[in-house]
Formats: sequence, structure tokens, C-alpha cells
Amino acid sequence: MLQFDPVQLPEGTEALRHEVRDFLAANADRISAPNSDFSSGHDAEFSARLGERGWIGMTWPKAYGGAERSFFERYVVTEELLAAGAPVSAHWIADRQSGPLLLGSGSEDQCARYLPAIVRGRSFFSIGMSEPGTGSDLASVRTTAKRVAGGWRVNGTKLWTTGAHLNHYMIALVRTAPAKDNRHAGLSQLIIDLAAPGVAIRPIRNMAGGEDFNEVVFDDVFVTDADVVGEPGNGWSQVTSELGYERSGPERFLSAFRVYVEFVRLVGADPERFEAAAVGRIAAHLMTLRRMSMSVAGMLENGKAPNVEAALVKELGNNFEKLLPEIARAAAPSGGDQERFRRTYAETLLLSPSFTLRGGTREILRGVIARGLGLR
Amino acid sequence: MEQMLADAAERIFRDQCAKEILDAAEEGQFPARLWQLLCENGFQLMAMPDSGAELADVFAVLRVAGRFAAPLPLAEALLANRWLGEEGGDGPTDALNTVGLVAEDDNTHWRDVPWGRAARRIVGVADDGGVFAGTPVAVTQAVNLAGEPRDQVEVQDVEPLPCAEPAPALLALARAAQSAGALERVLELGIGYALEREQFGRPIARFQAVQHMLAMVAAEVAAAGRASDAAVAAIGSERFAFEVAAAKSRVGEAVGLVAEAVHQVHGAMGFTYEHQLHHFTRRLWAWRDECGSETYWQALLGRRLCALGADQVWDFLATSS
Repeated sequence: MLQFDPVQLPEGTEALRHEVRDFLAANADRISAPNSDFSSGHDAEFSARLGERGWIGMTWPKAYGGAERSFFERYVVTEELLAAGAPVSAHWIADRQSGPLLLGSGSEDQCARYLPAIVRGRSFFSIGMSEPGTGSDLASVRTTAKRVAGGWRVNGTKLWTTGAHLNHYMIALVRTAPAKDNRHAGLSQLIIDLAAPGVAIRPIRNMAGGEDFNEVVFDDVFVTDADVVGEPGNGWSQVTSELGYERSGPERFLSAFRVYVEFVRLVGADPERFEAAAVGRIAAHLMTLRRMSMSVAGMLENGKAPNVEAALVKELGNNFEKLLPEIARAAAPSGGDQERFRRTYAETLLLSPSFTLRGGTREILRGVIARGLGLR
Repeated sequence: MEQMLADAAERIFRDQCAKEILDAAEEGQFPARLWQLLCENGFQLMAMPDSGAELADVFAVLRVAGRFAAPLPLAEALLANRWLGEEGGDGPTDALNTVGLVAEDDNTHWRDVPWGRAARRIVGVADDGGVFAGTPVAVTQAVNLAGEPRDQVEVQDVEPLPCAEPAPALLALARAAQSAGALERVLELGIGYALEREQFGRPIARFQAVQHMLAMVAAEVAAAGRASDAAVAAIGSERFAFEVAAAKSRVGEAVGLVAEAVHQVHGAMGFTYEHQLHHFTRRLWAWRDECGSETYWQALLGRRLCALGADQVWDFLATSS
């Protein structure tokens, strides 16, 4: 049976929470259209200001500019930023995923070269996993890196690469040896400079009208040996642990949060019974998901590897992110000042198909959970 | 402490909650041996203020009772003894006391009294949270949709009890904790059956459609358990009623999804009276409506948030840990 133990936020986290709120109030001009979706607002200046406060890479070693703070402190900072709808997309992947990957599997040289700029909120990363023929079946990637003097030549195409047109680097999963009996062998992760010769980036317009994700084509792009993450051929186990640990953060259930805020505003202080019930129903989900997510943060803090629990939080959280606008819509009164609610609702609804796709589809996650239950 | 008591209770329930005993209870036969064993081990007194156990321990035991569909009104018996004990009257004994609801317009006829027919004394809880003691004089038998006795009882010698606790919220939390336990059992039954039942030459657990249903069930069960634990942890805090509201709401939502899916996994076998699954799913369906439905508690929580206002909602949610 899966266990989500209660955690108590350590003392000091509440003071930190208020520091973040003060910061958000002071930077309100950069949050003119709050959106809790972590991949929506790309604002390099905002990220740099966060970096100045020490709120990027905050659990990382001081040797690389980090603050060696706890997972709980990072949790509080991230949930406050998301709830306020701050533009966090620029540094998000570097902070959540790329940095921890380098700390876990990268070389000391890589950590020294890349982490300090990430911490300062000046260096942004993208994830290079999906391809035109590769989505959930990640081991089928066809982008190749061929050995040349001093490094590798990369050819192929990555797809759905959020922020590639604005970010500095991609950590790409590529094939460095042909697939044989074990298709998980022969994969490697490379740090690719997105400004390097041979990299072509084409934004892809999404159904909401935004241009956040891209197609990235590599034509004989050179990558030095020093930018291979871990041992060549070890990419699969690195990429799966990278995915596993990062599935349970507050971004997995808060994407639609601003719809809730505007819904409560529209309903007003004296709701009808069914309106109040809709407000309470959403709150009950949020309170529970938040605690489950913190339980996983607690397991990470204790050095555990809660892959299945993290998949479960993402499964519940993503489904809820889609349910929230539905509950609000069905209960929303027709009178009052509709403008803010309608705008936030429409924006979130149009993004919502991505909620159960990114970071592992619902179907893949259910497979992970089923394996954890002993069903496969 | 909590784990020790829960383990001790589990040993008793494991012995005394067999299918035949559950069936017999549904025919109206009080599980006397189960109650006797619980009393011999002092469980009937565990919610008394001086028992040495915390209320959190009581809810841990109730969760285990839910796992076994223990066919007696354990939550009501323990809470009745707690509230009657504070009265300083003749004190609890092995006789069964229980808790029902005071009818709105008539303080001598109480309704939805679990095992009112077998009770010595009854605590009545009014809508506004007022708590009374009464002695039964006449019983009209009735049951909920799980076949659990929920009698109408005419009482006499009604007197108010000096109860400083939010009795309705504690009763609702009891249902949430029992349900969290029953949900765990239903998940186990679903997994067990999927691994054992073969179709097309393999266990149905190998089919992705079944795996995905049970993965969804596991997620709902985990959420229900976490929500219930959180409300237990809030006992005594000023947020208690709102934490109970969140728990009763979240658990109730899980019940509908889980019961539906695990019945689907069990096929026609789970639709028979002979199979044990219905003893758990029917209780879950009954309990989600008892002590305040999801909607009741959601509205209570929602009104609080609306009163705070849109820009305070996050602060309220983030204060829960």
C-alpha cells in the first residue's frame, strides 16, 4: 500500500513564505496577467530578480552558488510563486530538473560551469526528450550523436521543446550507439548550446495561440566530450530518475489555481449553497493534493526515491487541474463582474489539454502506478 | 501508542469480522463476542479523557474498524462514553451506549441511532452542535443501505451534556476515518481479484484497461487516507471543522469512484451477496451520506473561504500543513 506520511514544515519556512510574498508584492508590475501554469510566463528579468534573492537552486551546494536549503523551503518558494501566477517559466526547468540532473550525474566541471549562472537566474535550460516519432515511447529516440575527434556530431530533431527559442541550453537524450536487443542501452544525455552553429529553432503555435514550444533541428551540431552528462550509454537510467523525482511538485496541481481565485471573487462573500459547495469542493482537493505533494518532498528530503508516489501525485494533480475549471464553470453565477473570471477561465481551459500530457502522459503514469501495485 | 492500539484492535477484528459475522449482523444479530473482546481489552473506554489514549488513537482504531467493516457502532460507542463520562453519572460499562441525531422539532424522538435497539444510553447531537443524554424507551428499527441499524428511538430523561467539543465534526471525522480504512480494503480486494481471475489465458491484471482502473483507485484511496489523517492531526485546532470538511468531502468523492471501479473489476462475482465486497462498498456508500454529505461540508468550507475573500484563499490553503 502506498504511504503518504504527514510532514510538518520546519520552523523558518513561514518567515520565508512571507519574504516571498513581500517580493511578489514589490514585483507586482511583472505579474499583470497572473497565470499559475508554470510554462506560460517567460520573463528573464523576473528570474534574475529571483536569483538575486537566492530562490533558484536553493537546495544545491554552496560551492556552486546554491544555498543548501531544504526541499521544504524550496517547496514553499515554488508554491508561493505559482499561486501568485508569477512568470517562472524561464528558469523553471533549469531549477527543477537540469541542475539536479547535473548534480546527480554530471561532472564536477559541468556543475562548476553551468550551475552558478542558473542560480543567478541568468541561464535557462530546455528538455530535449520528445521527437517527431517519439513521445511516450522515449527509448525510440532517433536523434544521433556520432563520435568525432574531441566530441560528438549531433543530427536529428527534437519536438515540443518548451522555451527553446528563449533559453540557452538543452539537455538532449540522443542515441550514441545503435539500438540492439536492449533498446535502453546506447542512449546518452548531452548539453547542447542552443546558439551553436547547426541548431535551427522553429516555434510551434499552440491551440491557445501561444508560442511556447518548438521544433529544434540539429544539423551536424558539435558537442564536446565535456558536455556529455554522465557516462555515454547511461542516458536511460538518468532520464528515468530525472522524470521520476520531478513529477510531484506544486506545479502538478496548481496550473489552474488562478481560475479558482477569480471564481471566488465572482461568487462574492455571500454565496448560494451550490456556489459555496463548489468553492469548498475545490479547496478540499487542493488541501489534500498539497499535503500529498509535501509528503513526497519529505521523502526526497529523507533521501528516498518515491517514484510511484510521485507518479500518483501527478496523476491526481493533473486530473484535478482539468476538473477545477469545470467545477467553477458549472457553478459560476451569471451576474457580477465577469471579465477577470472569463479571461482566466478561457486561458486555462485552452492550456488544459497539455496538463495530462507534459512530464509523462496520464496513461504512462497509470502504468507506473500499476507496476507499483504489483499488477504488471 | 497509536500503532500499538491499532495493531491490537486489528487482531480482534481479524478474528471477529468474518463474512458470516457480517452477514449475521445484517440480519440484526449484535456481534456480542466482538464487543466483549473489545471491552476485555479496554477499547470501550479509550476515548475517555483519562484513558491515556489520544483522540488521534481513537481515529486510528476506527480506521482499522473500517478496514474490516466491523459490524458494530464503535465510533458512537466510544464517543458516547467520552461524552457521558464527562457527565460524571453512573459511568460507562460494557453496556453499549451510542450516539444519534436529535430531531429538529422533537427532543424526545431521535433518529439515525446506530444500534439504538441494543443501547443502554444514547447521546443525541443536535444540528447546532448541542449534546444531550437520554434513555431509550421505545425503538423503531431501521437500517441504512449497508444494512447497518439506524433506528428511531423515543427517549426519556433527556438532559443536556456539558460537551465543549464540536460533536458533529468529530462524528463526521469518524465516518471519514472508517471510510479511509474501508477504501484500503476495497483496493486490496480489487488487486487480489485482478491477479487471481484469469480470462483469455491470463490474469485480468495483465490488461491495461484493468491496470488503469486500479491505478486510479489507488490514487483515490491514497488521497482519502491523507485527507482523513490531516483532519485527525487538526483535532483541537481552530481549523478543525474546516479540516474535517475537506476530509469528508475528499473521502466522499473517492468513494463514488472507487466503489464503481472495483465492482467493475470484480465482474458478476462482486455483485453476488456471497462475495464480501458489498459489505465494504455498501458501507462506503452509506457513510458518505451520514454525518453530513460532501455537499454539506463543502458548503461549510466554501462559505468560510468566500467570507475571507478571493485574495485570502491561498493564505488559508497554504496554512494547512
